[in-house]
Amino acid sequence: MSGRPGWVTRRLVYGLPGWMTAMAYLFLLAPIVILVAFSFNEARSTVVFTGFTLDWYREVFADRNIARALRVSLIVAAASAGLATLIGALAAVAITRRRFPGRTLLATGLAAPLVLPEIVLGVGLLVFMSFSGIRLGYGSMIVGHVLVTIPFATLIIRAAAASLDPRIEDAAADLGADEWQTFTRVTLPQLAPAIFAAFLLSATLSFDNLVMSTFTSGVGTTTLPLRIYSMLKLGITPEINALGALMVVANIGIVLIVMGRYLPLMLNKPRPVEPERKN
Amino acid sequence: MTTRYKKSLLAATALALMPLGAAAQELNIFGWADEMPDEVLADFEAETGITVTFDTFDSNESMIARLEAGASGYDLVNPSQYAVQILAGRGLIAELDHSRIDTIGNIGESFTNVSYDPGNKYSIPYVWGTTGLAYNKSCVEGEITSWSALFDEKYAGRVYMLDNMLAAYIAGLQINGFSANSSNPDEIQKATETLIAQKPMLAGYNSTNFADLVSSGEACIVQSWSGSVLQAIETNPDVVYVLPEEGGTMWIDGYSILGDATNVDEAYQFLSYILRPEVAAKTTELTKIATSVLEARALLPEAIASNSAIYPSDETIANADFILDVGDAMKFYQDGWTQVKAAQ
Amino acid sequence: MRRSTRDAAVTSVMLAPAVLILVVFVVMPLCVVAAYSFAQRDAYGGVVPGFTLENYSQLFSGLYWQVFVNSFQLAAWTTILCLLIGYPVAYFIAFRAGRWGPALLVLMLVPFWINFLIRISAWVVLLGRNGLINGGLTAAGLTEAPVGLLGTLGATLVGMVYAFLPLCVFPIYAALQPLDRRLIEAGADLGAGPAETFLRVTLPLSLPGVLAAALFVFVPSMGVFAIPVLLGGGKDIILGNLIVQLFLEFRNIPLGAAVSVAMLGFAALGVVLYMRALSRIEAMR
Repeated sequence: MSGRPGWVTRRLVYGLPGWMTAMAYLFLLAPIVILVAFSFNEARSTVVFTGFTLDWYREVFADRNIARALRVSLIVAAASAGLATLIGALAAVAITRRRFPGRTLLATGLAAPLVLPEIVLGVGLLVFMSFSGIRLGYGSMIVGHVLVTIPFATLIIRAAAASLDPRIEDAAADLGADEWQTFTRVTLPQLAPAIFAAFLLSATLSFDNLVMSTFTSGVGTTTLPLRIYSMLKLGITPEINALGALMVVANIGIVLIVMGRYLPLMLNKPRPVEPERKN
Repeated sequence: MTTRYKKSLLAATALALMPLGAAAQELNIFGWADEMPDEVLADFEAETGITVTFDTFDSNESMIARLEAGASGYDLVNPSQYAVQILAGRGLIAELDHSRIDTIGNIGESFTNVSYDPGNKYSIPYVWGTTGLAYNKSCVEGEITSWSALFDEKYAGRVYMLDNMLAAYIAGLQINGFSANSSNPDEIQKATETLIAQKPMLAGYNSTNFADLVSSGEACIVQSWSGSVLQAIETNPDVVYVLPEEGGTMWIDGYSILGDATNVDEAYQFLSYILRPEVAAKTTELTKIATSVLEARALLPEAIASNSAIYPSDETIANADFILDVGDAMKFYQDGWTQVKAAQ
Repeated sequence: MRRSTRDAAVTSVMLAPAVLILVVFVVMPLCVVAAYSFAQRDAYGGVVPGFTLENYSQLFSGLYWQVFVNSFQLAAWTTILCLLIGYPVAYFIAFRAGRWGPALLVLMLVPFWINFLIRISAWVVLLGRNGLINGGLTAAGLTEAPVGLLGTLGATLVGMVYAFLPLCVFPIYAALQPLDRRLIEAGADLGAGPAETFLRVTLPLSLPGVLAAALFVFVPSMGVFAIPVLLGGGKDIILGNLIVQLFLEFRNIPLGAAVSVAMLGFAALGVVLYMRALSRIEAMR
């Protein structure tokens, strides 16, 4: 239709997101290669490479402290991300779909933990909890992590709910669906990717959290980052890289499972182009 | 998917709210990781039948913040010397009953009357080391023996100071010939000026990965804690740790019993246990950090007992000060350090 | 009548957990912090209750001005870079990746399951004098001797973008993903070029996500403390460093609380602006 130069520009513009994505993933994943390489380092260093060994993997499996800390971290990440996503999703949908007094205030409030330096919220929470006699442990830490992750969960789901077309819901109602049916059959499926994204991001942020954990952990609930930071005084060993490499493998496993779910669908539909997805 | 996910959520919440099983005998310790080997804890558990929970912190400061809030649930804590003063001053740790520690006589004489806690009233000194400097032979000419190397223009852009007020002032004060624990405002002011003048030639302040930086040659000279560079020295023969001729300082991490401890008997049993020479020797052998139990040194392999980064000679440590809590003079340090950090 | 009562009940049930957690665990602790900002400290760093404005007058004495400027600059650069990189990535995942989108999202988070310190030490290796980047520069003949990359603003920004990129991609993805493709197709059918379709249809529709992304990146950037120290040399401190220093190292909790309150006010402004923009966008639908 258009002339050749226009066609070239169009190809370039069309290709831009793809190229940028490739570069971004290279940027994000290149350091992982370094990390994994150092997990095989003979020396006790995460920066100077001397030779190959598998000893650090042996140590990871033998180290009962690391195992315990990993378990604590996983429990806290799963529970806090679940709670944050659930509470955040309910609030986000209410904020975008319903009218109630103090709507803006609540919306702002849910973003508040984000704008507070974590250490301030952590110290405040610690003082408040000990004042009200709450014993520090899993409960306090999960609450702390929910606070840290809930702004992300809420805002992600809210952004998605805001871009939904309300006419689809109206149409469902016109066709006789009650409110609950509309929600579960129309709204929720449309929001599912956002909820999934919110849960993933929350769990990840919780797993890597240090500051809030410092102030809310109790007896027997040392998380992995807490453990690793306290090893700093004597230097971190490639054992932590080995653990990281194992976590990467586990995560790639999740990726494969996610893909595994979609792969059969993709084989049935050789070209899943965008407009067809609506059906 | 959502219901299954809700169920697992409920399960996790229930798990979180469940009271932790109340075993007959337990002991909860809050300490530095890697300064107390797992083997020692396991031996103690096997011998006494007490279940030990060992949680870790990353700095004295965050540990104090946690304990300050009260009802931490811990019985024993593992503070460094100035933190002992703060915890005792805040009434968070209890006076020790020495008659309940049958091995107390094993503590080396030089550790029995430490200035931060005369007579070991509140704390049992356990592991110790020094604050000095580390350098990489491949990018430094000759031997370095003085703090002055940290201020030498020759190494501009290749020097890191510890990102810690008290540590930075050790160098700032001692290079001017003052005590590292000075409480004289004029001396502190002079040290502040020295540190501000030093800032433009520094690569930065770092108390986290400085050992890696000096080991990889990114930095030539770094101010350093002795324990932190041991690994780097082991990996890279070019890395050298020295206690500077101006003195440097000593640090001690000891054990104190918390004022609200519930397992006091078990805590005393633990203190008695770790002060046995063979246990202390095992600690040093596995962590490469010296303990306050002098007899332990004779039980150690030659390579460790004669390693000067672990056991510096008596003459070198004679000059070293302890870093103490300077009380009211702290204000001058803090104002000075804020000026240093804000300087361009 | 009955319908509206039920409606109100449903709304309350949906909001109750959020309100509860906010009031109990955010508002109350914040009151503690606010009260502390008017208190004094004793010699051992304990908080002495009382009322003084000394902390605030100290805060605005000029010594801390540079800290505010540093924080703002770092946060602004980080946000701009993250949006420039993050938008195309989110666009690709939402529109072009098809069924692979969720997998790409998980992949984006993979690095974050490795401890932060280890991730940063990988950048120390990459950016170091003997690192890959210096090696590449020397091999390409761009530099003769290794350049000190660590301890510069550039190194800090690499670390910041590395840390915040997913926080930027996720909300934009969440806003783009449910967009009606037919609207976009319609733009194309009406003869608009891809650039025009994007600027007049896609971008405005995804603005809520872009705003959320900017907020996610900008505000927490000011409170970061480890990255400027580990990669940037820690010579220019930002608000995050100042607060950690005051709370933990100096044990001057009242002054730390005052800095926090100031930062809170500063950041609340950002949230209010964001909320207002978002409501306006929502109202336009």
